[in-house]
Amino acid sequence: MVNYGGDEVSALVVDIGSSSLRAGYAGDDTPKAIIPTSYGYHNTGGDEAMDVEGSDATQKSRSMKRMYIGQNGPSMWREGMEVANPMVDGLIDDFSAIPPLIEHALVDVMRCRPSEHPILVTEPTWNTPANRERMAEIMFEEFDVPAFYIANTGVLNAFAAGRGTALVIDIGKDMASVTPVVDGFVLRKGLSYSTLPKLVHAHARHILSNPTPMRRGIELLPHQLITNKESVDLNAPPRFSIREDRIAGTTESWRIWAENREVDEWLMSVGTILEQGWNDVAAAQRPAKAYEFPTGYNTYFGPDRLNVGEQYFHHPPALVATNPNLPKHVPNLILETFRSCDTELRQVLSSNVVVTGGGTLFNGFVDRLSSELGRSFSHAKIHAPGNPVERRYGGWLGGSILASLGTFHQLWISKEEWQEHGKAIVGQRCK
Amino acid sequence: MAASAADVRSILSIPAPSLAAGPSQQKKQPTTQTRKPEGISRELYSLIGPSAPSLVTLSKPRLKQKPNLGGGSKVKWECRAFKNPGRQDSLELRHWVRASTAEDAEYPFAKYNVPSNVFTYSQDEYTRFLEDKEWTKEETDYLFSVARDYDVRWFVVHDRYNYIGGVPRSIDDLKDRYYSVCRKLVRNRPWAGDETSKAQTIASYLFDKEREITRKKYIVSLENRTPEQIAEEEALFIEVKRLEQNERRFKKERDELLRTIAGIESGLPDIVEDEGLSNLAIDTKKKKNRGSVMDADSPAIPAMPVSAPIVKRPQTAKNAAFDAANCIVRTDPPTTVPVTKAAHQPAHLRSYKLPVPKAAVQPKITAALAELGISHSRLVMPTRDNIMQLESLLEATTSLVEIKRVVDKVEYDIRVLKTRLGMRESQGVEGRPGEAMDVDEGHEGDVVGEDGRAQSVLSTRSARSRKQTRRSMSISSVDTSGTATTRAGTKRQKRS
Repeated sequence: MVNYGGDEVSALVVDIGSSSLRAGYAGDDTPKAIIPTSYGYHNTGGDEAMDVEGSDATQKSRSMKRMYIGQNGPSMWREGMEVANPMVDGLIDDFSAIPPLIEHALVDVMRCRPSEHPILVTEPTWNTPANRERMAEIMFEEFDVPAFYIANTGVLNAFAAGRGTALVIDIGKDMASVTPVVDGFVLRKGLSYSTLPKLVHAHARHILSNPTPMRRGIELLPHQLITNKESVDLNAPPRFSIREDRIAGTTESWRIWAENREVDEWLMSVGTILEQGWNDVAAAQRPAKAYEFPTGYNTYFGPDRLNVGEQYFHHPPALVATNPNLPKHVPNLILETFRSCDTELRQVLSSNVVVTGGGTLFNGFVDRLSSELGRSFSHAKIHAPGNPVERRYGGWLGGSILASLGTFHQLWISKEEWQEHGKAIVGQRCK
Repeated sequence: MAASAADVRSILSIPAPSLAAGPSQQKKQPTTQTRKPEGISRELYSLIGPSAPSLVTLSKPRLKQKPNLGGGSKVKWECRAFKNPGRQDSLELRHWVRASTAEDAEYPFAKYNVPSNVFTYSQDEYTRFLEDKEWTKEETDYLFSVARDYDVRWFVVHDRYNYIGGVPRSIDDLKDRYYSVCRKLVRNRPWAGDETSKAQTIASYLFDKEREITRKKYIVSLENRTPEQIAEEEALFIEVKRLEQNERRFKKERDELLRTIAGIESGLPDIVEDEGLSNLAIDTKKKKNRGSVMDADSPAIPAMPVSAPIVKRPQTAKNAAFDAANCIVRTDPPTTVPVTKAAHQPAHLRSYKLPVPKAAVQPKITAALAELGISHSRLVMPTRDNIMQLESLLEATTSLVEIKRVVDKVEYDIRVLKTRLGMRESQGVEGRPGEAMDVDEGHEGDVVGEDGRAQSVLSTRSARSRKQTRRSMSISSVDTSGTATTRAGTKRQKRS
């Protein structure tokens, strides 16, 4: 066991992302619990009453919320259920929902007692010191963990790929980031990130819901709201009946969540990126793909499905002119990172590119990336795990590796240290 | 064919044993026979009997060995709490260890906890040696604390370096300050070891900021090349290589020429060793040729090694006397054959070089000799004289055959002319066909002309004479082909 440098102390690893929360034992290769970060809730207490009672009561009313977490949380239709996501731009924005989410993963799914295990939590590179201290506080005060550590997802992704030095390209649900990692440390000055996936999502929604000369706008009704449907011919108007009884009880937030899911499903099953850059001829040669929506409407998508992925790598000039605050696309992010890195590092970073995150599973993404990189760096080498689990949960996997190393155990922030030094210890220890 | 005990006894003339011993011996024998050796199947043993080869018994077939997994005994593991000596607090984590490990054994990973050795300095040292107008003591302290935190990983140190109220520093500024402080400290502190180790330590802290900046500028310029520039650069590189190669070749050729003209006086080393192994053979050959040429042209240089075997020795009187005294007979190489590798005659036995008649006349010669009862193919003693005699014999036979051929031809001609004369006498002259044939005759050669006319006369008469025409034709064709080959032969000689 010493040979492998591993020494398992039954640590837990919790990796919170915009789309899902992953938790499992350190040393495993797959997280035991994968639950959606979005959750449904009912406000049981009267909102008006709480506002009157003041700030002290607000905290209480939050805990009075009835929350629906896990696989049957937001995806199950409940009357009057709202859906919320505690993450904004990859950072935890609403900490009140975090303890129930973690508790669900650790206690309800994994059936373990957090107070018995050291816990390693991940954070994105652009996390604020206040956020990580808050996370430490939750762990020590609410879960009573014996030891805690917070590690950077960029570093962990590099570790998951078996590298100490890497350029990590991470495309998640909300954020796209390029992080240079050197000797297990993130170079914060070289970090660049943007909300590019949101743009792609918005673009996809725009394509689907706006009518074209060929077809009408597509209704993005989720199957939860449809009683029955009939199979219809290609491009024929759908014949289905809506569950009228549910319409009234459907909240706006749930509807948005459900529609977003429909868009994402369409995006990931139909969307493709051209490997060699945009080319009208090549785009025309690609076969159209059929897709059927929950309403029963089905059609073929030709150039649209290629157009949508192109947003990752190229913004049409017209779009740039109208939106000055457009999120940077991937080549720009990489360029920016290289510009802010030392010239000596460019060589080693470009030959250790690690591609991770669920967004990179977009059809043709890695091929396109390698062709884009190859233009400016002929020796660029991309490491992209073929296994979708490894690609999506690279951060968790790296945490699993790190927390099972014998040499790592001196880095844990113990409860004793937390009580002695307070929040400052987090910044000192987790560099 | 096993010899029984009785046979042995009868051979050795031993008297038959007593009856009491007999049965016991007979009993014993079957027991030894039935015992089957290990590693041989029963069926095979019953077939081959006790005379089984010993090899079979050596290689006993066995099943694949089971892997030895740690002795096979059960290992007891325990979940134990442990303390990490790398930690200052009292955190106890639990892990599984073998129950056999000692309770108070040191944590196996503690040895990897190596602190980085970053220099520290006192206030006094700072004021005495380390003052720098660019850096305050506070900032220097900060730099050293960051370097210690990140184990002097400069990229990380530079990334995290954020001194409030300081000027922005480049990575080279930080390195320069850090290493200059280290050098000064090593130089001024009392040193325990000898001077060389001190110099080595100082050398390990050397840092030339200007050079580093220039180097990075080069890297940037290298990365900023356009594809056209890269292509141009590559083309230039290839061009330079080509030029270099040409120059080297010219130099070599010049040296060779010098050596050829001036020999050793050129002052050039005789042997050129920078050639590869493949060139070596050619080189030596070249040298050999050169040596021979020089021998022939400028015998004034005796230093040159005489290595040419084809050199013609001048036939001096002294040589002749020496040869006569030692019974040496020199055969001149065939002068008509050009001096090539193929013409070179290595040492050989005379019996391998028996003279043979020309291929064209060989069957006739063989026949003639057979008629005379002489065997020319086997020479019992191929001495020089004998071979000369055989040669003259063959020559004589050849001329004999040749003469006979001419005689035959003349006789035939006479016979033909006689026949013609007889025919002319018996009947009148027929001019017409003869004239036509005369035209043909002019075209053909002299020898054929005779036959042609004969044929022209006879053709009107008999089929037999037509056959003869064909023969004459064939002869003429053979002749022309013969001349063609000889011509080719002379041409080849000329060429080579």
